[in-house]
Amino acid sequence: MLGLFGTLNLGARSLSVEQQASEVTGNNLANVNNPNYSRQRLVIVNSAPLPVPQGQEGTGVDATGIEAIRDNYLNNQIVSQSSITGSLSSQQSALQDAETYLNEQIQNSSAANTPAGSQNGIAATLSSLFDAFQSLSLQPGDLSERQTVVATAQQLANQFNQVSTQLGTLRTNINQSIQSDVDASNQDLKDIAQLNLEIANATAAGGSANELVDQRQQKLEDLASKINFTSSTESNGAVDITIGGVRMVGGSTAGNFLQTYTVGQDVYVQSTTGVPMTGMTGGSINGSIAARDGGMQDLQNGLDSLASNLIDQVNSTYSAGYDLNGNTGQNFFTGTDAASIGVNAALAASPSTFQASGSATAPGDNTVALEMAQLGNKNVGGLNNQTFSQNYATTVSTLGNAIASVTDQLNNSQAVGQMLGNQRLSVSGVNTDEEMTNLLQFQKAYQASAELISTINSMLETVINMKSAG
Amino acid sequence: MRVSTSMFTNNFLPQINTLEQSENHLQSQASSGLNMSLPEDNPVAMGKVLDLQAQTSANAQYQKNISKLQTAATDVSNALSSLQPLISKASQIAISASNVATRDNLPNDAEQVEALLQQIVQIGNTKDASGNYIFGGTQNDKPPFVATTDASGNVTSVAYQGNTDVLSGEIAPGLTMTSQIPGANTTGTGPQGLLVDSRTGADIFSHLITLQSDLASNNLDAVSNADLQAVNKDDDHIISQVSANGVVQSALESASNNSAQQGTTLSTQISNTTSADLAQTLTKLSQTQTAYQAALQSGVLIMNLSILQYLQ
Repeated sequence: MLGLFGTLNLGARSLSVEQQASEVTGNNLANVNNPNYSRQRLVIVNSAPLPVPQGQEGTGVDATGIEAIRDNYLNNQIVSQSSITGSLSSQQSALQDAETYLNEQIQNSSAANTPAGSQNGIAATLSSLFDAFQSLSLQPGDLSERQTVVATAQQLANQFNQVSTQLGTLRTNINQSIQSDVDASNQDLKDIAQLNLEIANATAAGGSANELVDQRQQKLEDLASKINFTSSTESNGAVDITIGGVRMVGGSTAGNFLQTYTVGQDVYVQSTTGVPMTGMTGGSINGSIAARDGGMQDLQNGLDSLASNLIDQVNSTYSAGYDLNGNTGQNFFTGTDAASIGVNAALAASPSTFQASGSATAPGDNTVALEMAQLGNKNVGGLNNQTFSQNYATTVSTLGNAIASVTDQLNNSQAVGQMLGNQRLSVSGVNTDEEMTNLLQFQKAYQASAELISTINSMLETVINMKSAG
Repeated sequence: MRVSTSMFTNNFLPQINTLEQSENHLQSQASSGLNMSLPEDNPVAMGKVLDLQAQTSANAQYQKNISKLQTAATDVSNALSSLQPLISKASQIAISASNVATRDNLPNDAEQVEALLQQIVQIGNTKDASGNYIFGGTQNDKPPFVATTDASGNVTSVAYQGNTDVLSGEIAPGLTMTSQIPGANTTGTGPQGLLVDSRTGADIFSHLITLQSDLASNNLDAVSNADLQAVNKDDDHIISQVSANGVVQSALESASNNSAQQGTTLSTQISNTTSADLAQTLTKLSQTQTAYQAALQSGVLIMNLSILQYLQ
């Protein structure tokens, strides 16, 4: 038997449990829009029973803890998915920038009877150059035809230079973003170690550290979006982190960090112990390096090889020709690659020095001009036996393929991320209807417990009045 | 599956976003009539379009080349048309001089031949619209024919200072053609000369000079035996040049037709690759709009509902 005072005590504890449950509900409602929050609930158990002649008698209710409802397996999957998405999304953005600089975009033509095409890029100017050679071949001595050839070649050279410069700037930007990702990752590592310490302290004292665990999960996802890692959880709740085989966080200590190192102009990542982070498969750092050394490098190589073959082929034909004064042996293009290609400066100043003729004395000879025009259809050995135009088209479609493939993968990865996120929300997310319903339940229980106290109170009064009456 | 409150917005926003992207994409297709724009939209088609575009551009240039060659062929044809009556006239003079019945005024005949000679030299030195000598071969910067005259002003010889090379232009990939004729070719190889060619025996200037001097010196045997035949050979040579020029002109005409045809084909190929199917695009657009409206309506309806509306 609890007795009247025991029952009064039971009522009081019951009030306090229902009140605390309402508080937890309030906290849930407050965090309904917090994306990192895992809903919590008060763990309620029976109080220790009293032995009575009839067996055991319940003594009410006790709250033993506040637990967060989360699925660690889902959380780990979301962490790995963040790495994949982070890598793909930084690849996509770098390659799309390169695509923009290339400026090959199909547009409707303003000219009548002309099909849609890409009018502003290297492709169109390359065609124009060979057209200008053709035109010159029919009027080899004509100064204005010569001028047109030189102007078109200068435009082409400028486009090569410009795209090359822009790709160089993009490369610098990517290197800078790798550096800032490394800095942010190191900050995450420090934060995770600090949170590990606080979580271990909280749990050692026998409590729960729900808020801290939520915060750490957020940091883990953030770190994963930059670089992929493996993790293991210690018995005290701390999470250890290993990147590329190097233990970065062990318990409450962030022992190692990431740092960048430079090869040529390019930035790569290693641990502070000097272990290079090669073979990384996820995270934006990996994505940036993959785009820079993959698709972008392919594009740069494609442009360089096109430019250098164009320079070689045109020059070797051109240098055998004669200008209107009977001089020979000069080059048409200067430079060696896309960045350096240019047109012999003397030509712009005096088009009569254009070496179009195959004969020192016959200004009407077009042998060399015609040969240069015919280079447009030549399958060039250095370009996989493609013509210049075909080779450039291949370079453009290779970049397009790289972007299309990354975009597909990114869409998939984001869809998976969305599904995992939904699953997590399903487990850990707050539902206001549910919380409000719970709140009603706690309120009614609170009212009932208060009613109990008031009833016991009147019973006690009855007992006391009995004494005074007697 | 348990549904949490933020799942509504977390699902609703990406769905709306996907529909908006799709609408935007379809709208730009419908307004431009193009099913692609950037290399990433359709990498294979992009490569194909760039290649076709280069071919189109080259093809348009071939048409320009052909038209320039046609102009040159017309220049040659005009010169031949002017030459023909002059040679015929020389031949008539030789015929009438060699016949006793028709022989009239030999010194006058000699003068006429002299006049013909000078006209022919003039035709041999024809320039094109850009001021280049069309019968100088590729040595087109100076008059190809230079006449030497004696004290009485009669032409005694005509020298050719052009060369025997001709300018050819490309009219289709790998196919070159010329409509030029050098003024003279005594090398025995290469293109036939217009007025002098060692292979056909044509040598208009020296034949007319001989005819003129035979007429002037009353050497009628030579006129009837040798000169007449020589001039007839020249006449045959010019006729064969006219027909050769006709062949060139018709070949150019057919190349021009081919090239125009090719241009149409290329244009069609590009448009087949890049054009959006408007009917399909508009149908999809209207479907997407319906889906968008439905998503908005249902989303707003659901997100407005809460237990709070029913709690007093």
